[in-house]
Amino acid sequence: MSTEAAENYALSFTDLKVTFETAGPDVHAVKGLSLAVRPGEVVALVGESGSGKSVTSTAAMGLLPENAYITGEARVGNVNVVGLDQGKMRKMRATDIAMVFQEPMTALNPVLTIERQLTEALELHDVAYGKEATDRAIELLTLVGIPDPAKRIKQYPHQFSGGQRQRIVIAMAISCDPKVIIADEPTTALDVTVQAEILDLLRELKDRLNTGILLITHNMGVVADMADQVAVMFQGNLVETGDVQQVLLHPQHEYTQRLLSSVPRLSPVIIDENAPRSEPTVPAERELVLEAKDLVLEYNMRGKIFRAVENVSFDVAKGEVLGIVGESGSGKSTIAKAVLGLLPVAAGTLAVKGHNLPKLSTRQARAVRKDIGVIFQDPAASLNPRFPIGDCITEPMVVHKVGNKASRTKRALELLDAVKLPRNVINRYPHELSGGQRQRICIARALTMNPELLIADEPTSALDVSVQAVVLEMLQDLQRDFNFACLFVSHDLAVVDMLADSVVVMQNGKAVEQGRVDTVLHAPTHDYTRRLLAAAPVPDPIEQAVRRDAWRILNSTK
Amino acid sequence: MLKFIAKRLGSAIGVLFAASLLLYILVINSGDPLKDLRESNADNREYLMAQRIEYMELDQPWYLRYWDWLTGVSKCFVGQCDLGRNINGVEVSGLLANAAASTLRLVLIATVIAAILGIAIGVLTAVRQYSGLDYIVTFLTFLFFSLPVFWAAVLLKEYLAIGFNDWIASPDISLGTSILIGIVLGLIMQMFLAGSLKRRALTFVAVAIFVPLVLQYSLWLNFYRFPQMGPAIVVVLTLLVALSATSMTAGLKEKRVLYPALITVVLVLAAYYATFYLMSEPNTWILLGGLILAVAIPALVGRLMGGRLRKNAASVAMVTGFVGAALTVIDHIFRAWPGFLDNKGRPISTIGSSTANFEGGYWDHFLDNGTQLLLPTILLAIISLASYSRYTRSSMLEVQQQDYIRTARSKGLSERTVIFRHAFRNAMIPIATIAAFDFAGLIGGAVITERVFGWKGMGEMFATGLDHVDANPVMAFFLVTGTAAIIFNLLADIVYAMLDPRIRV
Amino acid sequence: MSNTNDNLPQNLTSVAEVEDAKLARQSEDSKSQGRIVIGRFVKHKLAMTSSVILVFITIFAFSSVGWGVIPGWWDKSYLDAGAVINGGKPTLSLVPTWLGGEGIRWGENPFGQDSIGKDYFALVMTGTQKSIIIGVVVGLVSTFLGAVIGAVAGYFRGWVDEVLMRITDLFIVIPLLVLAAVLGQIAGASSGSIITLAFVLGLVTWTGLARLVRGEILSLREREYVAAAQAMGSKTSRVIFKHLLPNTIGVIVVNATFAIAGAILLESSLSYLGFGVQPPESSLGLLISQYQNAFTSRPWLFWWPGMIIVAIALSVNFLGDGLRDAFDPRHTGKKRRRRAGLFALPTRKEKP
Repeated sequence: MSTEAAENYALSFTDLKVTFETAGPDVHAVKGLSLAVRPGEVVALVGESGSGKSVTSTAAMGLLPENAYITGEARVGNVNVVGLDQGKMRKMRATDIAMVFQEPMTALNPVLTIERQLTEALELHDVAYGKEATDRAIELLTLVGIPDPAKRIKQYPHQFSGGQRQRIVIAMAISCDPKVIIADEPTTALDVTVQAEILDLLRELKDRLNTGILLITHNMGVVADMADQVAVMFQGNLVETGDVQQVLLHPQHEYTQRLLSSVPRLSPVIIDENAPRSEPTVPAERELVLEAKDLVLEYNMRGKIFRAVENVSFDVAKGEVLGIVGESGSGKSTIAKAVLGLLPVAAGTLAVKGHNLPKLSTRQARAVRKDIGVIFQDPAASLNPRFPIGDCITEPMVVHKVGNKASRTKRALELLDAVKLPRNVINRYPHELSGGQRQRICIARALTMNPELLIADEPTSALDVSVQAVVLEMLQDLQRDFNFACLFVSHDLAVVDMLADSVVVMQNGKAVEQGRVDTVLHAPTHDYTRRLLAAAPVPDPIEQAVRRDAWRILNSTK
Repeated sequence: MLKFIAKRLGSAIGVLFAASLLLYILVINSGDPLKDLRESNADNREYLMAQRIEYMELDQPWYLRYWDWLTGVSKCFVGQCDLGRNINGVEVSGLLANAAASTLRLVLIATVIAAILGIAIGVLTAVRQYSGLDYIVTFLTFLFFSLPVFWAAVLLKEYLAIGFNDWIASPDISLGTSILIGIVLGLIMQMFLAGSLKRRALTFVAVAIFVPLVLQYSLWLNFYRFPQMGPAIVVVLTLLVALSATSMTAGLKEKRVLYPALITVVLVLAAYYATFYLMSEPNTWILLGGLILAVAIPALVGRLMGGRLRKNAASVAMVTGFVGAALTVIDHIFRAWPGFLDNKGRPISTIGSSTANFEGGYWDHFLDNGTQLLLPTILLAIISLASYSRYTRSSMLEVQQQDYIRTARSKGLSERTVIFRHAFRNAMIPIATIAAFDFAGLIGGAVITERVFGWKGMGEMFATGLDHVDANPVMAFFLVTGTAAIIFNLLADIVYAMLDPRIRV
Repeated sequence: MSNTNDNLPQNLTSVAEVEDAKLARQSEDSKSQGRIVIGRFVKHKLAMTSSVILVFITIFAFSSVGWGVIPGWWDKSYLDAGAVINGGKPTLSLVPTWLGGEGIRWGENPFGQDSIGKDYFALVMTGTQKSIIIGVVVGLVSTFLGAVIGAVAGYFRGWVDEVLMRITDLFIVIPLLVLAAVLGQIAGASSGSIITLAFVLGLVTWTGLARLVRGEILSLREREYVAAAQAMGSKTSRVIFKHLLPNTIGVIVVNATFAIAGAILLESSLSYLGFGVQPPESSLGLLISQYQNAFTSRPWLFWWPGMIIVAIALSVNFLGDGLRDAFDPRHTGKKRRRRAGLFALPTRKEKP
């Protein structure tokens, strides 16, 4: 790369290699990466866990830990920051290169006011001082869309919502007019409608300030929505680069092809009110497994009653999958908790196979639990770290005193086969398995007692796209084989679209819309469902541009 | 915020009441108060027993005795405390006044020293995790955790007090010893200042050469019996502090910070002469007022002259003013030292909380109290310092892993700003809670320390009271220490709320 | 998450495949968490040294003067006074003759004699026994109470939790030493046996561990495997004792060792004040209390018991520290490199 060309780049990497020295063998996190970001351009660095994408960005900020050994070049503007003196690197941060982090809830210092946190960078880099700096900070908050900034600047981070905090982090990143912003999974922790707003904000700011953005993400929809250029990383290697349309629509490398095919997609939405509605064909004999009528659920927060779910009714029959979708705080997981008996039912009925749960004695309830299997979200936390895998899988048999040692082992081996894990895993411990493998163990455990009802609470949200595809496919197969009823809670509309027969859309504890999936998700009538659908990005840049406009129209009329 | 404190105070008073009931029942059931009389062969045995029963109201059931004690205590609110009589019929409230003052002084000074030093050491070792300094401090804290207080006290008495007292009679340090001291100090200093190998070597050599020279020179001056400083040295030292504080915060080129600091130095010199006679024979209020002025005036100068750097300028000037004032006080203490040595030939005492029949001016009494407090304070502070430094270290390490520290670094802040502005405040939040428990531990430690050093304080009152199954002195001890603990706890809560806005707003 | 194995098949094109390939390549033996912890502990040099010292002191203290009816190899009793020989100076010598010492010698009274000619070695060894017994009993009692109460308070919250927190507050207004002294006085008046004293001390020292366990349980009970266990219909006792408490074993074991060190020091303080072990029984604290004024004339009477208390307490504390490192998942045995110091110039250098 010639120096003249390099001058046009806001950020460029040439043959960057990062190796971590650890107690064991060295870890080669990045194995030779070359990439460039021009001013006013968004380059998406895409990959799954272990691909080295975050290490790349941290290397550009000079924030890697001391056991990292870096070679190659990482140029911010004209300065190579690899091996740069810490003092000089500090001067470049915020003014030349800034960063937006993934987790807005923890990225801000809880004990300092927003004003202090915004102005300190301004004063440090000689941008503005005192009153002037405060004025500039208020201006920045206005720019990122925080209402009433003059008053709210005196507040502390915990007084802002997650989306607002991410806006503040963005304001902090643009405060000293950096040449390039690294956005490391900036919307992963946010709800889909908030994600759409934040992406809009980033796009608008980039155009206004002519800043380059290196967008690090695993979400192909976000890539389609934001990026001009795409670089795909896999296991520390850059496998494919190119312009967004080319990479997403005509991927060359096998990895990219498989990655894109793993992304669950929403079929197009019809928002035409007069479109003919397909009448749901209800099977004549539905054997109801789970039935909720006017269900009310409440949390008791230190004496204050908080109503999480209000008057929700639904039912699931044998062999059916019911999806419950909604954003955080909508009460979707609360329903799952109630079915699992982790939360008392405040009012209404919640019946499993005709037994109304709130009316059952402890012993009867335990008998009913035998027929319910469960899969949770976090694969790291859902297996007892002190139990070997075999014990994890057969725990329901122990609890319900079924079988003896030999028959339990036999069952565990059968289930390991069913979830396509090698049989010798039976004596391993959870920490020796990856997240996706642990989630497969959770599925096996859920199926141990041949349940009639499976509760899946965001079972794939913490997994990589390709692993998610494996797990979802496995769930579908098993559901076909065992014919259980399934309550599938998710925030991801595409996953629900792919898996569920019918769906309940929840907002603030209420079911705003429910019915067959092809009706609700493809011809929604409620405004909220429409906004939710429009906000979810799809991995196709052309289609996503259309959807984005639709979202803007919907959002402006809200 | 007020509601939070009121709630904490309410529950604390409830706990105090419950604890007093529990302790009362336990103490009166811990033995037989008449045991020694039952076994005695005295002629007036019956009379003595009757007398003691009357003093201690042993003819009453326990709940009436407790009720009596409680009503007596409640009279404290109208200024007429009645804490009952002890086993010999002496009014406990009369005994309490002196005892409480000396014990609380001891515990408070030890707490403050331990907290400040402990937190500083904790931060330093956290920042230098896995360095030689960290390992040595860790080893020392474990050693302090494992020392029986009374055993360490005897060692301190023997080596520190008696050794120093023998030495001060005719101070002498041989050349070999001073070189050894220089080398040891050099090793310690290079560890504290750290840096590159070259820098460490430089520090070591400088200290190892400088210290023996200073030691020999000070001996030649007979500094240890006739210490002296004078206005010149006060001003030079203050100037050094002003310059280094300026260069560390804003750089010496920054006139808006440098000038207020220099003006403060001039003010210190002026104040030195202006207050010379006043300071020769001051009282505590004058000293306190002087200290406040010495910080407030420079702060004002800094604010007025600092312009956009007024916060920086004010803090640099404040530090300079404070150091100047402290040096002035030390100068006066130095002046009083020879007279004090004449009065009290063996300055560091091992017994008692003040010297009997001691005559002298303010500074003489100041030095007397100081030397009496020295050993017990060192002892208590060392033990509590170990836990403060340990907790601060782990809290700092925990905080340094947080996301907002990474955010702060990504803004380009220097490591020092990241640590002090962002990490330190967050790390102090859990320490505020630990401080309350630590205070209780120190009061327990004071009971032992008073026994070792023969103080007539609260601890002694408790120990003798319990030994004689004499509830009233024990309860008086509890009343004072329990109330002090609650006040301290409340202060900790306020600090907690000040540190953590999530509690406050 | 990381890609350590660079010799995996290169043609894989999916994370799921890479993970499965790694699993298939893993060696046969799999380690439970307990074995990993023990492995880390054995590598902790300071902790291992401390363990050896502790075992040595314990064997020495129990075998020398015997325990209960079992006689030991040391023939003198701590209760028998005798003639004071050579001013009661210790006959133990560790400096060999060729270094100008008196040769390596054990002698009649290795630790010397006290003022009435009792053998000090027998006294100190009996005291050491008492300290170890008290430490272990207090450690067991307080750990058991602390773990169970903490777990119950953390799991059920509500009033149990409220009561626990108020009892902890109690120790802010009544210092531990004070409460222990009063209870020690009661125990001494009623029976005088050290086991009673140890039980009484155990009753007042459990609150710290209870708070810690409570905190652990509060965070563990939000874990999904606990929710899964509840959802599959496990009994509450199974959830607490199979799923929750075993996962707080680190906190419990580490703090049990610290509790033992604390109890040994507490006992010695109480005995020093006269509210612990009563004469003619022997205890290390009591010995120091009796001979603190003999420092200049017969220093061995002061040094021996003190040194042994420090040695035991320090070893136990280091042992606990080693255990903490072994249990802490963030402590993987590798040292993080030093960050630039607080007041230091940046020293960070990239490798060439």
